[in-house]
Amino acid sequence: MTLFDFVIVFLIGGVALQATVGRDHSVTNCFTAILAIGLMHRFVAWLKDRSPRFGVIVDGTPLVLVKDGNWQLEVMRGMRLDPEDVMAAARAKQIGSVFSIKYAVLERNGTISIIKQNES
Amino acid sequence: MASPAFKTPVTDSVAKINHELAVGEDLAFQRKWWRFERALWVLFVMIIALDCMGAFGRGPLAKSQIESADRAIEADYERIERTGTPSMMTVKVNEAAKVDQIELFVSDSAVSGLGLQRVIPAPETTKIGSGGFTYRFPRGSLPAVVRFEFQPVGAGFYHIAVGKPGEALMHMTVAVVP
Repeated sequence: MTLFDFVIVFLIGGVALQATVGRDHSVTNCFTAILAIGLMHRFVAWLKDRSPRFGVIVDGTPLVLVKDGNWQLEVMRGMRLDPEDVMAAARAKQIGSVFSIKYAVLERNGTISIIKQNES
Repeated sequence: MASPAFKTPVTDSVAKINHELAVGEDLAFQRKWWRFERALWVLFVMIIALDCMGAFGRGPLAKSQIESADRAIEADYERIERTGTPSMMTVKVNEAAKVDQIELFVSDSAVSGLGLQRVIPAPETTKIGSGGFTYRFPRGSLPAVVRFEFQPVGAGFYHIAVGKPGEALMHMTVAVVP
């Protein structure tokens, strides 16, 4: 899930709660509020499809953390990531050493993809 | 098997790094985004600081005091209030008020704008007219305190007037934030 999808999920939960505990307890209020958020999600998805620039603003851009065995410090600091975070993703792919990583990419959904040295 | 309605050839459109790994990284945009983020954090810190000071109600900046020209009546109130949040205006009638009975006039905007909920203690009588309400209270020893409980119904600026009927009133402006 992207950050936007997370926001939508929590927003639906929040709206459902608000519609239940707020002054208007009606099912109509709750249903239409959730429906409005669902439609908003579809609208934003449509806009992202029409405009890649808008997609980059909403979902962000993939960022290279390790390139040719070198840490991209500007990106690491900007995204507040430590080498330990990258190594955690590397270990998930049975890579035990940073020297075996050719590329590490922070994806738009927040996961870190690892490309081994000998794979590219 | 039906053929697809639309088809387009696959092209290598995603930007690559080192001409080998298609990532689609846009570092120039990301740098702008980080600058925007930093500005946003500064703004957030300023909002929190202003909130702690009471710029959005419920703090030192929000509290205010006013007194009548003859110093017989003084009022403590919140000049910045929040919609739907209860607040209290305290009107103190001092010894300087040489009166047999305590009468206080409150303009209608205290009800229509600030959502006056209660007057404590309950007045003996309430008269309507002259664009507001005149409350009469049984007089004890002075100073005496009358409290007005508000619960604003909507955001905006509201002007209220409080004082002894027939004399110069104390005028207050209250900002209600959403």
